[in-house]
Amino acid sequence: MKKIIILLLAGIVLLSACSSGSDETSESGDNDEITAWAWDPKFNIAALELGEETYAAEDKEFNLKIIENAQDDIVQKLNTGLSSGTMKGMPNIVLIEDYRAQSFLQAYPDAFYDLSDHFNIDDFSDYKIEPTSFEGKHYGIPFDTGVVGLYLRTDYIEEAGYTMDDFNNITWDQFIEIGKDVKKKIGKPMMTLDPNDLGTIRMMIQTAGSWYLEDDGVTPNLAENEALKEAFRVYKEILDEDLAIITSDWSQMLAGFNDGKVVSVAQGNWITPSIKAEASQSGDWAVAPIPKLDVPKAVNASNLGGSSLYVLDVPGKEKAAEFLESTFGSDEDFYQDLVTDVGAIGTYTPATDGEAYKKEDEYFNDQAIVSDFSTWVDDIIGVNYGMHTYAIEDILIAEMQQYLDGQDIDDVMNDAQQQADAQLK
Amino acid sequence: MIKGLNRFKNNGLFVKMFIVMVVSIVLVSVLITLNTFRVSEKLFIDTFSITNNKIINQINTNFETFTDVISMSFHEVQQSDKIKAFLTEKDFDAKTDAKAYYNINEQMTSITSNIDIPGINMFLVGENGRSFSTNYVNWPISKELLQESAITENTYRDPKKIMFQYDPLNLDTKTSHIIASKPLYDRETESIYGLLYISIQENELNRFYDRYTSAGNDVVIIDQSGRVASSNQKDLIGHKEMDLLQYAKEKEEDKSNYNSLEVFGKKKIVISQHIPIMDFYLVNLIDKDLVMNNLIDTKSIVMISLLIVSVAVVAVFFITGRLTKSLKLLVSQISNMAKNDFDQYVTVDGNDETKQLATTFNYMLDELHDYVNQLIETQKKQREAELSALQQQINPHFLYNTLTSINIMVQQGNKEKSADTIYALVSLLENTVGNPNEIITVEQELENMRHYVFINQGRYGDRIKVNYFIAPECLNHGLPKLIIQPFMENAFFHAFNKKESGHIHLLIAEREDDLVCEIVDNGDGMEMNERRIIQHNKKNRHLFSGIGIHNVNERIKLLYGEGYGVELSSHLGEGTTVKIRLPIIKPNNFTKTQ
Repeated sequence: MKKIIILLLAGIVLLSACSSGSDETSESGDNDEITAWAWDPKFNIAALELGEETYAAEDKEFNLKIIENAQDDIVQKLNTGLSSGTMKGMPNIVLIEDYRAQSFLQAYPDAFYDLSDHFNIDDFSDYKIEPTSFEGKHYGIPFDTGVVGLYLRTDYIEEAGYTMDDFNNITWDQFIEIGKDVKKKIGKPMMTLDPNDLGTIRMMIQTAGSWYLEDDGVTPNLAENEALKEAFRVYKEILDEDLAIITSDWSQMLAGFNDGKVVSVAQGNWITPSIKAEASQSGDWAVAPIPKLDVPKAVNASNLGGSSLYVLDVPGKEKAAEFLESTFGSDEDFYQDLVTDVGAIGTYTPATDGEAYKKEDEYFNDQAIVSDFSTWVDDIIGVNYGMHTYAIEDILIAEMQQYLDGQDIDDVMNDAQQQADAQLK
Repeated sequence: MIKGLNRFKNNGLFVKMFIVMVVSIVLVSVLITLNTFRVSEKLFIDTFSITNNKIINQINTNFETFTDVISMSFHEVQQSDKIKAFLTEKDFDAKTDAKAYYNINEQMTSITSNIDIPGINMFLVGENGRSFSTNYVNWPISKELLQESAITENTYRDPKKIMFQYDPLNLDTKTSHIIASKPLYDRETESIYGLLYISIQENELNRFYDRYTSAGNDVVIIDQSGRVASSNQKDLIGHKEMDLLQYAKEKEEDKSNYNSLEVFGKKKIVISQHIPIMDFYLVNLIDKDLVMNNLIDTKSIVMISLLIVSVAVVAVFFITGRLTKSLKLLVSQISNMAKNDFDQYVTVDGNDETKQLATTFNYMLDELHDYVNQLIETQKKQREAELSALQQQINPHFLYNTLTSINIMVQQGNKEKSADTIYALVSLLENTVGNPNEIITVEQELENMRHYVFINQGRYGDRIKVNYFIAPECLNHGLPKLIIQPFMENAFFHAFNKKESGHIHLLIAEREDDLVCEIVDNGDGMEMNERRIIQHNKKNRHLFSGIGIHNVNERIKLLYGEGYGVELSSHLGEGTTVKIRLPIIKPNNFTKTQ
């Protein structure tokens, strides 16, 4: 009888051992995994993948999981995540557009991991430091520059009797004058404009070192903003002179230059791959410095877009920071690869002496465009993009319509100022 | 192997019982388990299909609400004069364009804000060449690409209807799309002035049913061309599944709850419904095996059955062992009984039944012994009675012969000799007829012998000499009456057929605690292998009594046991020796037995 009981017990133990064995799942892998959020598979995600590849040589264990989210989704998820206070589900690394960076840094400074010790700010362009820093701490490692250029169809301007020299360091008024002449001669408008996106206005006012907000990054600066008024004037004039094709989305904008409908493209350097996508136009393009506003201290250099990488204060932050430090933060060779493989121009100054930066581009008639862009990066006047770039822009889009309808610029701006003051309080 | 076989043979009962029990236990367990599986499977599938039908209805309702919202948007866009103006006006410059795009953005934003579906893009294309995306990022389509696509072609085919299609263009986005499209129609001019496309992200449709799916329980939504528009099985999306479409269409007519089908090479339960406005088919595929595996933990049930079976088998092993062990012991004891002359008792051990059996057997053994003893006793007595009866009979021939010779003696006038002979005969008769079973002393027997010999010598002359060698200490020992006489008689009448004369020695002595009488003659002798000496003499004329020599041995053994009896040795021409071995019977002993 005893034997039977022992046997029974043994059987039960065996059974329970069998059933429990299969339940064990390994979750240990998650600890070493660093997650990153980015939005463009061909650009910033490709750059992060390149970074991972480079870093893998140093740390074979390193595992970066890049999650693709639309930029709007990232913004929304960050806002809900950070405001709720729970960092659950937040990534280690997140890419944030410079225009929006302050809205996060100022609202949730504790949520971000201070990277001041992980890179040398002197190695990067000054204008990138302002949006990525808050209260003296540097939270973001600059990723790409949004340095803008004036891409020109050399065949069109030659046909109209102009040379590239005519576009070197000009003002927007000079640009309009040439544009009128070109339109008359060859019937092509100069550029595309999207009335629902004032990127062009932003680009224009930064040539004068001005922004929608005061230097404090909070107070709207519209009514007394001469640069902004000047930009509005230029914008209206371009439309009045019918020098633009109106677009409403990316594909229409691409169609504008890929189909040869416009003479120039005034955009950030990130448009280069899209221009080069039309192989038949190889050799027909050149890049000139962006025209400046006709105001004092304005320079022929500006920025449009561009983003930086931030580390959130969640487990794995040290590892994430080390990864960024040894790639985006200090690796000259990595920046050469970034230009060559991804087409992303960084703002890491020591890298500009590298081969890839000096390389001439056949498509642009052997112009060393990366080198040129890098030169212009240095000239960009840093501004505090502050917290409310897009909120103010929404107001301005509507006010622009009033202005186009013939309202006085001061009235329009006063109106905008009032709305902004009311909304952003 | 042979050893094992032997064990098997020895344990025949145990093995048989054990095998029968094990087979029954296993059979019962297997049948019950299988039946449990079968019954629960059927019950589960029935319940499952009812539940899933309800779920499918629920999903369909969700889809209806969804398509209502989409239809409403189409309606609003169709009704808007501003949108119509945007899509129809011509000859514009940059400034009017800018205003138009600003306005259309406002218009469309207000319409999209009413649609509470994330991730959509409403794409307008006008006959005037203008186009507008409300949310380009969600569906980065270009006008040119779209106009060449089958989506547009299908939309024109039935302009009155909102067309839902899977977008086969595979734009560079994370998710695939379902496109709702319809031409914008001007009733006054009876012309189409534009098209509205609404792109819906596949994962938005997924949302409607995703929470109902599980491993092996899949939902597939196929458009009217058989293309999978949405599914929780992402790799199916975009594939053409004509079989499934065919099945779903047939299912529309027949109203059964579910069907079992072979889909994607697996047994599936298929439930399907038509989504009316979208003209899609909602198909629920349930992987029978997988779901069943989740429901019934086959492994643990089988393990439990195995455990029960093994416990039962072990229990049966021990119980059967105990039962058969005592029985086996009993059987082996009984089968060894013959070797031990049936006087070894069976050990009373084991359980009640075997104990009882053993007791009964022992009792029976006792009875048997008693009976056999009785029988032996009876037979012995009977034999003794027979022998004594024979002993008492004095052969009439002997008397006749003796009396005849006395008569002759009297006629010859040999008065003295005849008187002696008569005396000898009288003494002989007196000693023999009196007590048939009597033990007499050697001396008395010797006396009888002398009388017998005297009578015979009187009749046949004294050519045969008889000598007596008797150890003096034997004279008082007892021996059964007429033990020696038959051998003496035998020697007289058969030993000297060829030889004219000879002698007979009678020797009596103690040897090895036995009393040994030897009758030795130097007559003809015989071949020892001829046993007829004992049987052949059927003519009893010379015999003194009914006792023959052949009975003597039997009689001695009957009286004193196997250690005693008669030994015969003879050589042809040399003579015969008869040795009679008897126990020593002291005078005080045999007087008691009298």
